[in-house]
Amino acid sequence: MGAIEGLCEPLHDGTSGICAKTIREERGRRPAPAPVECQVMECKELELVVEQEGPAPLPEEARAHVATCVRCREFVADFVAIVSVARELPAELEPPASVWICLQSQLEIEGIIKTPVVAFPAHHSSWWHEFISPFRSRALATATVGLLIIGAGVLQQLQQTHEPPSPLPPGQGWQIPFKQTAKVLNDQEVDMRNMQLASTASTSPVDDSYRQSLQQVDDFIADCERRVKAAPEDDLAREYLSNAYQQKAELLSAMMDREGSVH
Amino acid sequence: MTEAEAIRLAQAGDAAAFEFLYHLHSRRVYALCLRMVNNPSDAEDLMQEAFLQLFRKIGTFRGESAFSTWLHRMTVNVVLMRLRKKSLPVASLEETTDPDEETGGPRKDIGAPDLRLSGAVDRVNLERSVEKLPPGYRTVFVLHDVQGYEHNEIAGIMGCSVGNSKSQLHKARTRLRDLLQEEVRQQARQERHAAKTQTGHDD
Repeated sequence: MGAIEGLCEPLHDGTSGICAKTIREERGRRPAPAPVECQVMECKELELVVEQEGPAPLPEEARAHVATCVRCREFVADFVAIVSVARELPAELEPPASVWICLQSQLEIEGIIKTPVVAFPAHHSSWWHEFISPFRSRALATATVGLLIIGAGVLQQLQQTHEPPSPLPPGQGWQIPFKQTAKVLNDQEVDMRNMQLASTASTSPVDDSYRQSLQQVDDFIADCERRVKAAPEDDLAREYLSNAYQQKAELLSAMMDREGSVH
Repeated sequence: MTEAEAIRLAQAGDAAAFEFLYHLHSRRVYALCLRMVNNPSDAEDLMQEAFLQLFRKIGTFRGESAFSTWLHRMTVNVVLMRLRKKSLPVASLEETTDPDEETGGPRKDIGAPDLRLSGAVDRVNLERSVEKLPPGYRTVFVLHDVQGYEHNEIAGIMGCSVGNSKSQLHKARTRLRDLLQEEVRQQARQERHAAKTQTGHDD
């Protein structure tokens, strides 16, 4: 405030005054100096104060100027309103779960992550806990997409239980609960590939990463299907397969969204 | 796990540490990217690119600056680089908002209606106006007024002086004020036009 303080001597009301320096100079030259009125602070100086210290709280001299200057009062009020609304905007937003999936996959490919995240240990219960932990947060994120698809599978399973049992070819009974799910996903994948073919083939690292992630999920689904096929009554194995389908649904949805918005 | 432990473990390639660091910072980084590019798909790309660059270089992190400052610097660089490449309407960081020639104070258009923004600014028209800011102004405005960073932190992120950060923020707010006034003016024109049309139909 050095440029402002000492420039003027304010009157008792603190809003304006006589420039003391000017008066002293004038006294030296003229016998009857005419008082020169000036404001405590000029508009330009107020803007500098606002730039350096923000629109609120203002120093006393700036407040005094604002009290007498309509233009600066509106200027400061507008700034205060802008800052106030800006602070209501969310500073954090939850990114889609697919971003971490793609990033993780890329980090593994580049060898930056040196320990595998999802392992398939032989021990039954540890396998479950190892597997389920990374899916907990993702399952929430994919609830809207995944549950619709899994719901279709479960519905079909329930329908099957009410129908009289029919003889099935050996080794194919495991497919029934997820048959519809797999079909929906396959149709979705075909649509997505058609969209990719219709547009210019993308070489973006994100697209590559999505494709790699999809391949990994497909491989995982194949593993799960083998386990369910080997032990059709194993509820845990069926749940893993269900989770894997959710993952695929989420990935396909993200890829289709991306195709739609990028191309 | 603390951030420092996670950084040390990530430097050794530990998967859980990378995930921890990602989840610790991803929401702020995503919000920044989204406000900078206004497109979720682009924001996801940029966020992934920023984290990828960060994790590739994590072995070189020695803790001279805060980890979040380092990450935000990388994010801002990635975003500004992308905006330059895409040739979006980019204005110079040094672009000035001309002050009123007569007084040197806040500029005001002659003949423009007397607009008070205090009751007219809401989240929607502020976000719309922020989208129209040049990237340099937008970055400083989002970092300071939305994300709550101090000028010394922004100076670290943007690689500029504290004075420059203050100046950029002031220009950003001034430009926003102009944009918002134009928005309010536009709305008033539309309302007048609608009222006129309605009167014409009634006659």
